[in-house]
Amino acid sequence: MKAVFTFALMTLRMLFRRRTLWGILLVILLALAGIASVPSFDVSNQGRFVLDFGLFGIELGALLLALGLAASLYPRDRETRTLMPLIAVPLSRGQYLMGRFLGAAIVQAAALIVTCLGLMLILILHGLHIPADLLPATLLILVEGWFLLSTVFFFSFFTSPPLNWPLTTMLFIVSQMSVAEFAGLVPSAPGLMRSLRILLPHADVFHIKDPIAHGFQIEPVYFLIAVFYGVCYSAFMLSLALAVFRSRDLK
Amino acid sequence: MRRNSLFLTVFAVPLLLTSCFTDYDVAEVAPQEFLDSESNSGQTADHSHADGADCEECAEETGHTVDAAMEADQAGGPSGHSHGSAERNHGTQWFFNQPWAAPFIWGKLLRDGIVFLVMAAGIFFATGWRRKK
Amino acid sequence: MVFDGSIMADIHPLQVIELGKRFPGKRGLGTVPAVSGVTFRVQQGEIVGFIGHNGAGKTTSIKCILGLLKPSAGSIALWNKKPQDRSVRKRIGYIPENPDYDDTFSPLEYLTMFASMRNLAGNRKSWMSLLERVGLRGWETTCIRQYSKGMKQRMSLALALQSAPDLLVMDEPTGGLDPIARKEFRDIIIEENNRGASVFLSSHILSEVETICHRAVILAGGKLVSEGSMECLLGGKSMYRVVTVSSEERTELTVPEAELQSTIDSLRQKGLPVLKVELALKSLEDVFLSATGGERK
Repeated sequence: MKAVFTFALMTLRMLFRRRTLWGILLVILLALAGIASVPSFDVSNQGRFVLDFGLFGIELGALLLALGLAASLYPRDRETRTLMPLIAVPLSRGQYLMGRFLGAAIVQAAALIVTCLGLMLILILHGLHIPADLLPATLLILVEGWFLLSTVFFFSFFTSPPLNWPLTTMLFIVSQMSVAEFAGLVPSAPGLMRSLRILLPHADVFHIKDPIAHGFQIEPVYFLIAVFYGVCYSAFMLSLALAVFRSRDLK
Repeated sequence: MRRNSLFLTVFAVPLLLTSCFTDYDVAEVAPQEFLDSESNSGQTADHSHADGADCEECAEETGHTVDAAMEADQAGGPSGHSHGSAERNHGTQWFFNQPWAAPFIWGKLLRDGIVFLVMAAGIFFATGWRRKK
Repeated sequence: MVFDGSIMADIHPLQVIELGKRFPGKRGLGTVPAVSGVTFRVQQGEIVGFIGHNGAGKTTSIKCILGLLKPSAGSIALWNKKPQDRSVRKRIGYIPENPDYDDTFSPLEYLTMFASMRNLAGNRKSWMSLLERVGLRGWETTCIRQYSKGMKQRMSLALALQSAPDLLVMDEPTGGLDPIARKEFRDIIIEENNRGASVFLSSHILSEVETICHRAVILAGGKLVSEGSMECLLGGKSMYRVVTVSSEERTELTVPEAELQSTIDSLRQKGLPVLKVELALKSLEDVFLSATGGERK
């Protein structure tokens, strides 16, 4: 475990030293500021509008961060041969994957917390109420972000970054759709589409921006269950990623 | 090749078993009492009636009638007729048909999570064993 | 092939038996052999040179030994254990071909992190002195982004030596280095060997292999074509070279030991000067070209 944590720390340092993270963070914060400056039809609904779209912006930010941080980690390591000295001696393949994932997950978490604080600041500046469930909602988005991160790692072991981006984005979009909506995409094959959809993750588990924007209370046990579901699905994706990585020759 | 097929089948079956019967579309799997629930709504969701016709169901449950709704509409509301806020109705069912508002699927979420965790562990140990062989 | 423990009564740092590796062919059709039927061993305290033309299968073999590639056939044992065994990997130091590292770190950071990952005892002072030993004094905290190729190779040597390994596996460690740097590398390899480490190194610089290696393994076209101690490969002490001048031209005569005295007498009788008499050893290059037929297979 020490090797995994050390390598995670190494990954964390590397990601902070690269410019990708800062660029993505700047984009997210600018987008949030932009959302807040758009006037809504009804001043009394301004708070709901900012919260709803603000949380949606944070969710998109989670996707951007997952792709920006992780899509090129393994391909770059292979191309520059930095992978060889790592895998040959100090680390096993599982330790490499877990170290990279943990480091990227910590960076993603820090970035999303910063964006949540940014959203709070925007609400304060506009004189709007900050709901108590804003941080828990961000936590659920973070868990969704970790799931996306694990998906990006899975794709990165057998695709290039330019292919990883659209594949992960497609999965993100599909996971937002209901079974009926997805089956409706190809009406001539409802059974197949239905089977496909139920195998894919259900990201609506993580979406509580609607009740938060409208001032609904969410039961604490729901948060725990949703986090558990997200962590377990992420573990499943990581195990698939490791299975692919273990089967590959490092030429 | 046969061993790989067996391997895939063993892991696909539990995945299918959970998801096949775990439809997260709340509207499709919700029990009728959830859809009719007073704690969520004052009205049955998703019913329609022709303009001008009396709606006995509406009238029985809430005293709301189509005529009254049309009066409210003519009074200037863009939505036609209004309901009490924070209530489940045919306009807001999409809002309440989400996992956070449907406790009857929470158990399924937990079960699926455990299945994914078990499968993750299985894949991890199986691939590690194959590599060491 | 099942690894038969009875073949190896002794425990060698490295034993390779009938190693084979096939890669997918063009357009994914069929497979192409990169290495086949390679068998050799590295004994305790030996320095073994691994030589072959470009594409002979040296790097493929080394990667199979380290578990980076899965062999298609044969078996590999490191101290009688499989390459995937964790206890075995701790005893190995590895220098890859054309090494590269994350350019956002300095070598001191790399050494510190690697030490932590490998659970090695040591502190900043010990890593600084290790970097000084490999010739990176004054560059310890400089970002690798500013390093030249030679400096990265020195850094990879430092990482390989960090754990005082029992087996050093080096894939062209001195490729692209200047003669002074190559000599420094050779000296360090010999120091490590004197400490007790076994060394397995692949190189294109045959003079280097000839100088420091006890044995050599020659690969051509993925197959082992020759193997033996340096003495055996280079022909021993049976031939002599006599250098003289004839008609103002320098002439070299290669004669067997038994005829050496009579040759010298004959030259003197003819009034020809004997400028030099020396052992006529073959060079490793001669051996290599002879074993491979002078062609890339």
